[in-house]
Amino acid sequence: MNKSKQNIKKKVKQHIPKDWLTELRIVYRIVMETFNDIKRTGIVNLVIVTTMAAILTIFGALFRTTLSVSAFAHELGNVLEISVYLKPSVSAQSASKKMKKIEHVQKVRVITKDKSWSDLKREIDLPDVENPLPDTLHVKVDKPENINYVFGQIKGMSVASDMSYAQELAKKIQFLNQVVNTTTIFVVIIVAILTITIINNTIQLVIQSRKDEIEIMRLMGVSNWYIKIPLIMQGALYGFLGATVALIPLNFVQNMLNNVHKFFLIPSPLFAGNIVIITMFFFGILFGAGGSFLSIKKHLQV
Amino acid sequence: MIQLRSVTKKYKNAYALKNVNLDILSGEFVFVVGSSGAGKSTLMKLLYKEETPTSGTVMIGGINIANLPSDKVPNLRRCMGIVFQDYKLLQNQSVYDNVAYVIRTLGISTKEINARVLGALKVVGLSDKIKAKPSELSGGEQQRVSIARAIVNGPPLLIADEPTGNLDPKNSMEVMQILDQINQRGITVIVSTHDSAMVDYFRKRVITLENGEVLRDIQAGTYE
Repeated sequence: MNKSKQNIKKKVKQHIPKDWLTELRIVYRIVMETFNDIKRTGIVNLVIVTTMAAILTIFGALFRTTLSVSAFAHELGNVLEISVYLKPSVSAQSASKKMKKIEHVQKVRVITKDKSWSDLKREIDLPDVENPLPDTLHVKVDKPENINYVFGQIKGMSVASDMSYAQELAKKIQFLNQVVNTTTIFVVIIVAILTITIINNTIQLVIQSRKDEIEIMRLMGVSNWYIKIPLIMQGALYGFLGATVALIPLNFVQNMLNNVHKFFLIPSPLFAGNIVIITMFFFGILFGAGGSFLSIKKHLQV
Repeated sequence: MIQLRSVTKKYKNAYALKNVNLDILSGEFVFVVGSSGAGKSTLMKLLYKEETPTSGTVMIGGINIANLPSDKVPNLRRCMGIVFQDYKLLQNQSVYDNVAYVIRTLGISTKEINARVLGALKVVGLSDKIKAKPSELSGGEQQRVSIARAIVNGPPLLIADEPTGNLDPKNSMEVMQILDQINQRGITVIVSTHDSAMVDYFRKRVITLENGEVLRDIQAGTYE
């Protein structure tokens, strides 16, 4: 029995040479198979790529806009500081040291009462009286959403006679950041659903139109992955081509946003353009291949 | 080469095969005969793992294919040639491409593919039709293309499920003669058929199925 088994294996092996050249030929033929599949899909390809491009353009434009809005919010957040007016008995230097230890505190600037008084005297003509102003600390917080926490911590230290910050502005910036983050997640989900659905349906049509052919391939012993990989690559290629076409309208959006940044003298986020392009290609290819994979799983019984 | 032990295949409440026991040796030519619904096609499908037995073992070359995982089925099918009644040719591809299709997926060089395809087409007498599409061929020629495709990878076993079912007597005879020639090269050939004239003419081993059971198993037998 073992001899017969070995004979069969030997007979099969002599017909299936396994070396790197063989593997390379298989890869080449799978790629060619993918292009043949695309060729056979015909005019539908154009519709799919255009639709993918439209979706990815919307995604790219929104993503790029959210990056810009984030940059604006960050810039506004930079000017947010808590002003702490110290009690006369408290040393400005020791209070400053204590505050630097509070979580989320980025920087503490000391304005002595003498400096405040001389600045004030420079601005308004004041009578020669004793300096009534307290020492002041300007506490800078890392993120607008942490300002409330830091404010509470300083209040608890009982060193301030009074404290203030632009509460309304901080709230608005915080809200803006939340809107930006939520929008990004929402857009990614919508893009994922749309692209996966479109590719899923396209590949389903391809599978339906090639049902007999796939059945023959399966019965003749063509490997499952040899049937599946070209279809997954087809989906991924739609994503890639859609993203490539989307680069054109995205370029206009990028230029427009760069002009807005220049106008407000707020620098564009670092590598924003490249980040958006890479993300767009990544999601295009990932969701394209993913949609195809789901379709194969559902409709291709191999 | 092939051993079936207590093989039963049940579809819902009906038995397609009941407690079938068979041994087919390497190099044999076997006719599987019987009326429609006797279980011929089910038996064939069990051999190329298109169906799984409800119980029993189907051993091919010492491997029980009843337990073969689905990802290994293509490997099994590449070790055998399969011929169908309806030819199952890719209509949009030429004769050459139809025969070459499976071996292309194995990464074999173009030169080697060319040699094997031309060799297989020579065996079936279609060397002059390599560029033709299946629709341009007669039924007999199409079946010969499917035989060429079945033998192109040099399998030790060839399974033909009603290969002459759609053919006239002349083409049937040609196809059977080709299968006989292939068998003479050492390949085990199993043919399911209800063509009594062919069975009687070739006088090979005949396994008769009736209601899913082996009724007769006769060397150099006739259809009866």
